[in-house]
Amino acid sequence: MNPILECSGLTKTFGPKKALSDINLRIGQGQIVGLLGPNGSGKTTLIKLANALLTPTAGEIRIAGMKPGLGTKKIVSYLPEKNYLNDWMRVRDIIGMFKDFYEDLSPEKAYDMLKRLNISADDKLKTLSKGTKEKVQLILVMSREARLYLLDEPIGGVDPAARNYILETIISNYNPEATVLISTHLIYDVEKVLDHVIFINEGRLVLSSPVDEIREQGKSVDGLFREVFRC
Amino acid sequence: MLAKLMKYELKATCRIFPPVYAALLVLAAVTRLLYSFNPRGTNNVPLFISALLYLFILIGMFVMTFVVMIQRFYKNLLADEGYLMFTLPVETWKHITSKLLVSVIWNIGSAAAAILSIIILSIDKILSGELKIKIAIDTSGSFNALLLFEFILLCIAGMVFGILIIYASIAWGHLSNRHRIMASIGAFLVLATFSQVMFFCFKVTPLARELQEHGEVYIGPGTPIAMYHWITWFSIAFFILLSALFFAITNYVLNRELNLE
Repeated sequence: MNPILECSGLTKTFGPKKALSDINLRIGQGQIVGLLGPNGSGKTTLIKLANALLTPTAGEIRIAGMKPGLGTKKIVSYLPEKNYLNDWMRVRDIIGMFKDFYEDLSPEKAYDMLKRLNISADDKLKTLSKGTKEKVQLILVMSREARLYLLDEPIGGVDPAARNYILETIISNYNPEATVLISTHLIYDVEKVLDHVIFINEGRLVLSSPVDEIREQGKSVDGLFREVFRC
Repeated sequence: MLAKLMKYELKATCRIFPPVYAALLVLAAVTRLLYSFNPRGTNNVPLFISALLYLFILIGMFVMTFVVMIQRFYKNLLADEGYLMFTLPVETWKHITSKLLVSVIWNIGSAAAAILSIIILSIDKILSGELKIKIAIDTSGSFNALLLFEFILLCIAGMVFGILIIYASIAWGHLSNRHRIMASIGAFLVLATFSQVMFFCFKVTPLARELQEHGEVYIGPGTPIAMYHWITWFSIAFFILLSALFFAITNYVLNRELNLE
């Protein structure tokens, strides 16, 4: 099966600092993948490279066989760890904007999720709390019918009650042929939904394994993570 | 997609400019009205305040036009909002073009508002014929539509050049890993110096014969009208050429060397 995401010799340096070093990776379609690693391990860098927000120093990254660009942006739905919402729109306007640019966005899905999370479509983005902004961004991202979802810390800033709903949303809203890559360090919360895990540390790939294989060894992902990244 | 980008760019900036234009025109009218009550203007505190406010808004409007031009490009593309803009399925050149065109629109808008406010301030003098606005009167003393057209074209070309030199400087500064704002200012100095040197080099060529014949180039009453046309078209071509270069620099950096923090 053709991989949805493939890295070969992918390296990214910032001045003298190596953020990613010679990453070789293949991620297949139709699975939920955890991109796990301690803070500063290179998770965000990898996801930004996949979105063409960073330019690789060496090596390459391909999505559905394409280099990041116009073609990949149509099929990738990306949730950054930053708040990218501007301060002059209402929630309704930003959904309209996504609809204008992404053919695969379903406004019905977006409004339904807003209702479930008690967010008013008439609220100004400027006045939303940090957690609510994160929820709005996640709603925009999950309302698309993308082939690859790249979620950078999707549950980092929201309360535990919303966390469950968000994880449920992620599992139930994506099409079974799509792939979801979730970067997080809150492993315990996401463990139950993952099919595959990737561990990275200090810019290097430490492990890429199906979750079933880890469980067959009698371990949990959380336990293995603690073992690998023991301080 | 370009039209959609422009729609959102206009919406984002529409909240800012029209209210300022309205304030400027209202203050011009109030100042004019207060002046007509007391033409000598002695001990007229309200007139003084109103004229001062008008002046503040006029200066503020131009400063704002400049600041918003930089801020929209930097904040919307190269700061956090860039995470949204650059993941939209849109070619990079369309982002630059939409920002450029909307900025040109507001530059023209600000210039028009300023001219209109001056007309309001001096309306009676214009009506009575005391003050004549001379635009595009050629050396023979008659109105020349071609000169006016050339002048407007030159203003727009100069505006586009001015905006793109700043976009290119910001993009160039973005190549630096640290101190990107300082790097952008440095890039601007380099590009501005480069433009001046280029202008001087090119300018010498068409005027070389003139220099050879007369030892100097004199522009003023008595200058042949053909010379005006020459200089204007030459300047327009120069602005277009350098604008294309700056556009290419900006597009290259945002396309091939993007590194959002």
